[in-house]
Amino acid sequence: MVQKRVLIFAEQVNGELQPIGLELLGSGRLLADKLGATLSALVLGSNIAHLSSTLIGHGADEVFLADHPELAQYRTLPYRRVITDLIKSWPQPPHIILLGSTTTGRDLAPRLAAYLETGLTADCTELDIGPFEYSNSKDPSKSGLFPNCLYAIRPSFGESLKARILGPWKNPQMATVRPGVMVPLAWNGSRRGEVFQVPVQLDPSDLSLQIVETVRNLSQAIDLTRAEVIVSGGYGLGSPEGFELMEQLAACFPNSAVGSSRKAVDSGWIPYAHQVGQTGKTVRPQIYIACGISGAIQHRVGMDKSQTIIAINKDSSAPIFKFAHYGIVGDLYQVVPEMIRQLQQGQPQPQASPSERIPVLQGQ
Amino acid sequence: MESFVLIKQVPDQSSKAGINSDGTIDRAKAKRMLNPFDRYALEAALQTKRQHGARVTAITMGPPPAMEILYEAIAHGADRGILMTDRRLAASDTLATAYTLAQTVRYAGSPDLIFCGLQTTDGDTAQVGPQLAERLGIPQVTYCEAFEIRDGILLARRAIEGGSQTVTVSLPALVTVANSAQRLAYQTLRGARRVQHLMRDEAARAEVIQIINLDDVGADPERCGLKGSPTIVAATEKVGEIGGNCQVFQGQSVPSLVKSLREAASISSYIGAG
Repeated sequence: MVQKRVLIFAEQVNGELQPIGLELLGSGRLLADKLGATLSALVLGSNIAHLSSTLIGHGADEVFLADHPELAQYRTLPYRRVITDLIKSWPQPPHIILLGSTTTGRDLAPRLAAYLETGLTADCTELDIGPFEYSNSKDPSKSGLFPNCLYAIRPSFGESLKARILGPWKNPQMATVRPGVMVPLAWNGSRRGEVFQVPVQLDPSDLSLQIVETVRNLSQAIDLTRAEVIVSGGYGLGSPEGFELMEQLAACFPNSAVGSSRKAVDSGWIPYAHQVGQTGKTVRPQIYIACGISGAIQHRVGMDKSQTIIAINKDSSAPIFKFAHYGIVGDLYQVVPEMIRQLQQGQPQPQASPSERIPVLQGQ
Repeated sequence: MESFVLIKQVPDQSSKAGINSDGTIDRAKAKRMLNPFDRYALEAALQTKRQHGARVTAITMGPPPAMEILYEAIAHGADRGILMTDRRLAASDTLATAYTLAQTVRYAGSPDLIFCGLQTTDGDTAQVGPQLAERLGIPQVTYCEAFEIRDGILLARRAIEGGSQTVTVSLPALVTVANSAQRLAYQTLRGARRVQHLMRDEAARAEVIQIINLDDVGADPERCGLKGSPTIVAATEKVGEIGGNCQVFQGQSVPSLVKSLREAASISSYIGAG
């Protein structure tokens, strides 16, 4: 009986581990313990030997390092090649493979799953292990009782729903996991683990894509994930001009940013970088002020971990009032200007300088 | 130059029609629309037509009403359409969908570029594009915001966390287009007239829009639909309400709201003493 394996893909940028890798280790550790499996971390890059101790300290039993100059920055085809070669070299595929639901993970995971001809669930917010009994007259070959399935749970289309996706018929069972949801294990320097070097053999065709330039503008990246106060506008703003009012309200707070619902983005009122929710960013500010946002699950999953949620909506039955901490039922075009006046009374608030917030640019 | 654009008809989320109480979708009753992300992909494909004279083929997989979005693509300027429709495609997950689309793309020709929307609003996975690229053995550029083609090389800017990345890649390649890219322009008068003509003239329609099934493209039915899908949706559950202890103020009581915020220990430091 070969040892089962739970494999997590740890992203690095410029030789630094990204938080998602440690989050995946936290989640993967629970799954591996339930399965009695080994938890393995895989990291690709150039000059990355120093990363293995961090991965072991955060829960990995073994670390696979693929260290090669061509792997310094993430690119689809070289990474796909190295990972599938590694998996093929094992006597059996991993029971589970987890990647982050980042631009990298969502680029890579589907390529791996298609190559391995296996199932993949996108952007999960919960994972678990459990049994599953299946019978379907339309596809009897799949019927049976399956222990040790990966329960991949994700918010799904519609109102306030979670879907549990299963694929026990084939290993690896794969999922991408939303960043900021899983909790890393506390660092423990006494953990021991094995480190393996992964052979790298690329094909010239893997190098057909070249990276010209990568720009990570960290002052822009304060954006939503690091703001302490977020003022978000939704479709209830009625027009792109409504975001000017959102800007004014955000300016009442230090270290603030303007967010939006998907519908406002899809309507072309504000650029995608501001989108909070299922297809945007997951945020956890101290204060989240939602203006004209109904609070459908797609938005909610991106912001319901905020410390304090304040909802402004003229529809008292909007779902957002079910989970906000403070709500105000009224026309936001009357409520928000009054709020700004109230907030500006008394002590002058430090006005956040424009460089601290993403400017709201209309159009692209 | 040949550009393919893959589009999907999805339920219209802004309408309550056809949404069952358990949150599943009755696709027969739901209002239908072109997947919003695919509008950006269509615009990208039309850019290759305007700048390089590419022939644009819109491809969709779905039940017969999906014909509507092929007409929509043609009204915007696509040259031809392909509808892959087959009852055996029901319950396809992304792996089975990508297999069927790969067979369809091979059947339809040798595209230099394949454009997909980043994701659909009903499946919401962003997986089909990369899975299709893997099946076709071609490179991909995901989260594409802007691009140009120079001497057979694609130069593209893609969105990444906190910034962007510029890449070059040789063709053929597959591009998934983000919703921060160029927005779709209005339908053209010429396109709209062409659609009117196609709707009236069956022979003309058959020349422009092909309706095909799994057998036409040599697809193995065991790898399609429910049988070819390694994942299933086992259960959906309502999300438990969190909070539920919202302090609700009426619109005219903004001062009392702000006062309460100032008194809330956890956040008062952000509000100022007043």
